[in-house]
Amino acid sequence: MIRIFLFFILFVQSLFGYNYDSLLLKADSSIFPKIMLMDKKIKNKLIDNKIIYTIVYDERDYETALDVKEYIENTFKKYMNGYPYAVDLVKFSQLSVNTEASALYVLKSSTENIKKAANIARQKGIISFSYDINNLKYDLLFSLIIENSTILYLNKEYLHTNNIDFVDSLLSMVRFIGKNSI
Amino acid sequence: METEKNMKYKINCFLLACLTTLHLQADDLRASLFSDMKEFNTIATQTKQNEHYQPYIISVFKSKELEKLGVSNLKEALMLVPGVDMATDNFNNQTPIFRGSNPFAYGQSKLLIDGVVVNNLFFDAYSEYLSMPIDMIKRIEVIRGPGSKVDGINAYAGSINVVTYAEDFKGFESNNKVVFKYGSYDYGMGGFVKNFKIQKLKGHIDFYYQKDNKNISSGPDGVSQGSLGPANVGLSQSGDAPLWLDEYSLGINLKYQEFSLKARLLQYKQGSAYGINFALPQKSDRIKLPSYYAELGYARKINDVHIDIKAGVKYDAFDSKAKLMPDNASLNGVVFTNGGYGEHYAKQRVMYQSTYLTYDGVSNHHIVFGYRVTQEKTIDMKSKLSNLTTGDATLVDYTNTLPFFDKDAYRNVDTFSLQDSYDVNEKLSALYGVNYEQTSYKDAGFEPRISLVYRQDFNNIFKAIYSTSHRNPSWQEMFTKNNHSRVGSTDLEPEKVTSYELAYIRNFTSDSYLQSNLFYLINKNQIYNSASNPAYRNAAKTDIYGIELEYKGHILPNDELYANYTYLDGSYTVDGTSKNSSLPNVAHHLAKGYYIYYFSNAFSLGTTLKYVGSKERMQTDLRPRVKAYTTLDTALNYKSTQYNYTVNVSVKNIFNADVRYPSPQNTYENDYTQERRTFLIAFKKSF
Repeated sequence: MIRIFLFFILFVQSLFGYNYDSLLLKADSSIFPKIMLMDKKIKNKLIDNKIIYTIVYDERDYETALDVKEYIENTFKKYMNGYPYAVDLVKFSQLSVNTEASALYVLKSSTENIKKAANIARQKGIISFSYDINNLKYDLLFSLIIENSTILYLNKEYLHTNNIDFVDSLLSMVRFIGKNSI
Repeated sequence: METEKNMKYKINCFLLACLTTLHLQADDLRASLFSDMKEFNTIATQTKQNEHYQPYIISVFKSKELEKLGVSNLKEALMLVPGVDMATDNFNNQTPIFRGSNPFAYGQSKLLIDGVVVNNLFFDAYSEYLSMPIDMIKRIEVIRGPGSKVDGINAYAGSINVVTYAEDFKGFESNNKVVFKYGSYDYGMGGFVKNFKIQKLKGHIDFYYQKDNKNISSGPDGVSQGSLGPANVGLSQSGDAPLWLDEYSLGINLKYQEFSLKARLLQYKQGSAYGINFALPQKSDRIKLPSYYAELGYARKINDVHIDIKAGVKYDAFDSKAKLMPDNASLNGVVFTNGGYGEHYAKQRVMYQSTYLTYDGVSNHHIVFGYRVTQEKTIDMKSKLSNLTTGDATLVDYTNTLPFFDKDAYRNVDTFSLQDSYDVNEKLSALYGVNYEQTSYKDAGFEPRISLVYRQDFNNIFKAIYSTSHRNPSWQEMFTKNNHSRVGSTDLEPEKVTSYELAYIRNFTSDSYLQSNLFYLINKNQIYNSASNPAYRNAAKTDIYGIELEYKGHILPNDELYANYTYLDGSYTVDGTSKNSSLPNVAHHLAKGYYIYYFSNAFSLGTTLKYVGSKERMQTDLRPRVKAYTTLDTALNYKSTQYNYTVNVSVKNIFNADVRYPSPQNTYENDYTQERRTFLIAFKKSF
């Protein structure tokens, strides 16, 4: 009986996703692509002259990832600041250094998966955005929370990467945060 | 050589052009980014998503979550709020009690629907809205404590803002739906929500109709305790108290550019409950509490100034038709062989206008100032009773000779307020201000308030709040006449409260937190009456202190857990008697919570647990304490994403707990019995 119960618990857990705040998802979807465009080296990250904005998700969060994709496509229509773009959905299990991506938007997952996504973003020299601010401690670059005002957090330990060079005006808008203060 | 120079010049020009373009693009992006951040911040503030950073003690409940728990209406939702208990009276005029503050008074909290105050003028209560189906509601924002002043609206112990689906933001999904429900006591409900847009005109309509046949065994009634005099004690009855409901409501919100209209029509009819004179009424006896309002608004932003002008009118009435005395009752030597009957009708009108200006021109400051003027008036009153001279049951018009209410009742209330929200630095913000109010009767005067929010970091937030507020006497406390149990007085001072609150919020993740609040409330001039002295007077003083703990988070990735606990205690004095070290009719311990487990994207199981501790009586009331109770509800929810419908089956009070709300001394000796185990089936289809 206990085995059946445990199996049931584990089984159903694999069916249902993490909890997400819909307003925060929408804010992320509107704001993060614009931050990506404020990288002076964005042209180096085009793939076939296109921006590929990749959402990395846990298998159980497919619906959430799809909602984010649709929201971005409705917000930016066909171009992001003049660049054609595509929003790709990639599961954590399928993510690798060969995944085509101009930037990663990382949804919730296990620590191991988050670290994997951060590591791949670093290797590829692309910007990584995190839904959950707590995941900045695993070396993702950007996150956003809605406090008294909307605040962009930038992981200062990962800022100085050769392939990323933000316009100065962006840096005046963000709040820098270190791993130890998360 | 010349060609080489030309070439260099062209290359430089090109690079300069590229650089300029890049700067322009960056500036555009920065502006766009800034605008997005501001917009989402506005939405978060309006929707209270950033509740932890606001200078109030606030709890927000989203109805989409509550629906999964089988929560059916506003009252059931409010029972989940920390520190909130429910009280009722002989009309079954139910009212939420915030932090134990004066359980037999109404109007200590304000109910707003989309920002419009809907408390009726007669009782200053909003019992008629507590049955509002949860399906018509998008979100419930509950601010506890007197720090709930919004645009000149003074809440004393707390305010409840019900946000309907009229709230609409660009890019957010539609909420059009139809709802049907069926449950215990032959309860049936049907309703819909529809949002629409015609060019620049945005509209929202919601409608519902619901009725039930609830009658709950009660008694012996208050006649046994002498509510109709010692001669009638033997005529006391026990039986079913008619607590049935029959109501419909139509809400309309329109917005055209800077102009808006918010209107609602509520036709509310209920059984006469426990009887006007505490004598058990007949099953068909009824009370109507209709409520209609319309508010026109104009909002415009000009540079750093935002103007918000509102003007509105609200009508409400108390309309009772009931048997007031049992057969063979004797009053002043007259015997009413076939019983005594009565019709009481008082219709009120409230007209108001407010203008508020918000100024953002000073760096880090957000200054709001303005006024609200209100005119309250009784516009119609009728009083009919069985013949008091002959004892004949046929009704006689006593409107002019023995009115139950002052037909010329009126009051003007003018409120002025000034408030500044100041971001001292990235971590500290302060909100301070003052309200000044004068009325046709006794004035509340100046009421200051200051609130500090310190954000140490994302995980740790501290709040400190000092505030003062008041409650003006309600219409029945001022203008009731010729009544055995209530005598009004226009000499009443407003009830006053001074509040000190400290809060600490620990955010564990973006969606889990623990909040703890300490509060100390000093209440003066509390309005009080009793069976032995029915005249309303400023007789009570109460000091209340307590702690609230609130947790929201998860045990597993696919569940939701919410729990809160409130401890409160204090002391009170009535009519200058010695201080009593306990609070009467107040539960010292309140614990509520829910757990939702998601089996899949389609199925979830929700459980709600509520514990309300025992309540002591008034010092002179020798009855045993009101017993504590625990209720457990459960609900199974199925959502079809393919066909956009939801079915919810719930059972409330599974263990059939005996739930009673306290009755005043010398009335219903066994208190007011509430429903036991019930079931509900809800079907919702979204479009």
